[in-house]
Amino acid sequence: MNSIASQFTNNNNNIIRNEINSVTHEFAQQNSLNLVPSITLPPISQPTDFLRAHTDDETNPDCKIKIAHGTTTLAFRYQGGIIVAVDSRATAGNWIASQTVNKVIRINPFLLGTMAGGAADCQYWETWLGTQCRLHELREKERISVAAASKILGNLVYQYKGMGLSMGTMVCGYTKKEGPTIYYVDSDGTRLKGDLFCVGSGQTFAYGVLDSEYKWELTDEEALYLGKRSILAATHRDAYSGGSINLYHVTEKGWIYHGNHNVGDIFWDIKEQEKSFNNVDG
Amino acid sequence: MRTTVASEYSAEVHHVPIEHRFNPYSDNGGTVLGIAGEDFAVLAGDTRQVEGYSIHTRYQPKVFDVGDDIIMTANGFAADGVALIDRFRNQLKWYKFDHGGKKLNIKSAARYIQHLLYGKRFFPYYVHTIIAGLDEDGKGAVYSYDPVGSYEREQCRAGGAAASLIMPFLDNQVNFKNQYEPGTDGKKKKDLRYLKLEEVLELVRDAFSSATERHIYVGDGLELLIVTKEGVRTEYYPLKRD
Amino acid sequence: MSDPSSINGGSALAMVGKECIAIACDLRLGNQSLGLSNNFEKLFQFGDKTFLGLTGLATDVLTLSETFRFKNNLYELREERSIEPSTLANLVSSTLYEKRFGPYFVGPIVAGLNSKTNEPFICGFDSIGCIDFAKDFIVSGTASDQLYGMCESLYEPGLEPEDLFETISQALLNAVDRDALSGWGAVVYLVTKDKVTKRVLRTRQD
Repeated sequence: MNSIASQFTNNNNNIIRNEINSVTHEFAQQNSLNLVPSITLPPISQPTDFLRAHTDDETNPDCKIKIAHGTTTLAFRYQGGIIVAVDSRATAGNWIASQTVNKVIRINPFLLGTMAGGAADCQYWETWLGTQCRLHELREKERISVAAASKILGNLVYQYKGMGLSMGTMVCGYTKKEGPTIYYVDSDGTRLKGDLFCVGSGQTFAYGVLDSEYKWELTDEEALYLGKRSILAATHRDAYSGGSINLYHVTEKGWIYHGNHNVGDIFWDIKEQEKSFNNVDG
Repeated sequence: MRTTVASEYSAEVHHVPIEHRFNPYSDNGGTVLGIAGEDFAVLAGDTRQVEGYSIHTRYQPKVFDVGDDIIMTANGFAADGVALIDRFRNQLKWYKFDHGGKKLNIKSAARYIQHLLYGKRFFPYYVHTIIAGLDEDGKGAVYSYDPVGSYEREQCRAGGAAASLIMPFLDNQVNFKNQYEPGTDGKKKKDLRYLKLEEVLELVRDAFSSATERHIYVGDGLELLIVTKEGVRTEYYPLKRD
Repeated sequence: MSDPSSINGGSALAMVGKECIAIACDLRLGNQSLGLSNNFEKLFQFGDKTFLGLTGLATDVLTLSETFRFKNNLYELREERSIEPSTLANLVSSTLYEKRFGPYFVGPIVAGLNSKTNEPFICGFDSIGCIDFAKDFIVSGTASDQLYGMCESLYEPGLEPEDLFETISQALLNAVDRDALSGWGAVVYLVTKDKVTKRVLRTRQD
């Protein structure tokens, strides 16, 4: 009781808050991260427990604030560049909050970021990453490398480690010196360079299709189809993935959008054409 | 470790530690709904405010004209909703002072609200926020947010207590989901078209009277705000009060 | 989420029309997020014009459907006639209440026409057998909120069989499309005084 009262009477006693403030200050002085905004913390000793009690529906199913989760996203490198494919469903518990979410964030004409986990965390920090990349361009008179861009995001989420951010993202892009590059960055602070990633609740289903058909020599058309087909498999089996599929191709000219494909329609087309999905009648 | 919730019997001898929890949230019920048309947008909300099984008031408007032909609602925990809307109004005022009375377009307003919500990522506003207005081309626009600021522009969106009752109805009647042309054996979808204002108002009233029938947090009155190029106007319809 | 009634997912509903009834359900059976079967019907026929819908925990759905098949067979042998919907309703109620303190995790619904008068009958139950008599519609399952919203806004009394079919189909389809644990196909049974028609609906597969 006294500890709660003291939190209200004198905010300076809040050790965690002071720590966060000092960290924010420390970074505000460095011009590379001066746009990190200040974020309000609850006036109690353990902000993380508070957040978990009110927003984490796994530990507390009847928590009031439901944060959108559930996704399938993938990106892979091949001979012709990078393919990025994502679904578009947002769920809060079993409720389908939206079937039209845009899970690919266009950081700039050469960089894409994918979204899995907390919708707001991804949307907010990846648009923030966009501004950081633009500032880099203005300062250095050169486009930012994928490695550097992903590291800005990786360092940012590491600052917030343990605070409850939830994101699993792939930063995909092309630069002259790196070629087509994919970095996987998640809210634990993991940052990996790789050729092929699937992220989200439907990742296993997507890997299943992608791994069995993937090869480096894929043509552009084959690669786009494989990306789409892998997400389709995931939307079919995973209850928390679905809606429609957004497709992107990243080349040395930047990314090219390959449209929005409604799962309700393409499922039947692909089933008929491939004679696949024989578990489904009709 | 066993704990017990603090009781009123303060003199009682406790054998297990008393658990105190900071709970700044409550649920004030209500439901809201926004639909965008070709050259208009509507945002509607019921006027009942509740806590638990008690009705606090039968008339507490929660959809507001915040200026610059933008209408806004933040449904859920009423105190947070009011705080958020007040903060936005205030910032809009400063924006005008700083920029010679320039009109804030809805796209910018939408992004700004994301920042207001995400600014409290670790101590969220417990609200489902929707704004509506006209975009740069004069087309109706509805933006909706989750409690921590992820947002999307949509044709329609229901929020609050009865969102799960109303949203599938809107999918069906606004976006014509699962509707096909008769006689095509489900091969040809019903074409999408913009609804007329009268049609939209009819849908909104049906949605709310249906929700009122089945949800105890919804009822008493329906207040809807309509944005057209002429400005914002308000309409009120009574709902069942039981 | 370890709530037994939302592990497997699934929804059902019934509606009354003019001298007819319709009862419908989705076909999904899953284990939480993983879809396992798209051929899991939750409707069971008793006699000519009576149906029982069972949503909830799949093991209890199967157990109860067999229990009621058994009880109905004994009933038909003893009475030498098929069971009336209202009789089935009371049978369901008493069977569920036997497990008052360790219930089956199901949400049953009953719909049918009286064998003599052809009067429509529908009702629903909670998991321990409290009967909810309704004269318009009954919903059940993980998409029940969505179904309430759809039915309350689309339903009107006195619909002809074909209009009733369209109404119940649209209500079910749009409701399950907003529920992660329902969908994956749907069936509708339309019961009129002289025939029962079964229609399988083509739905989204995500």
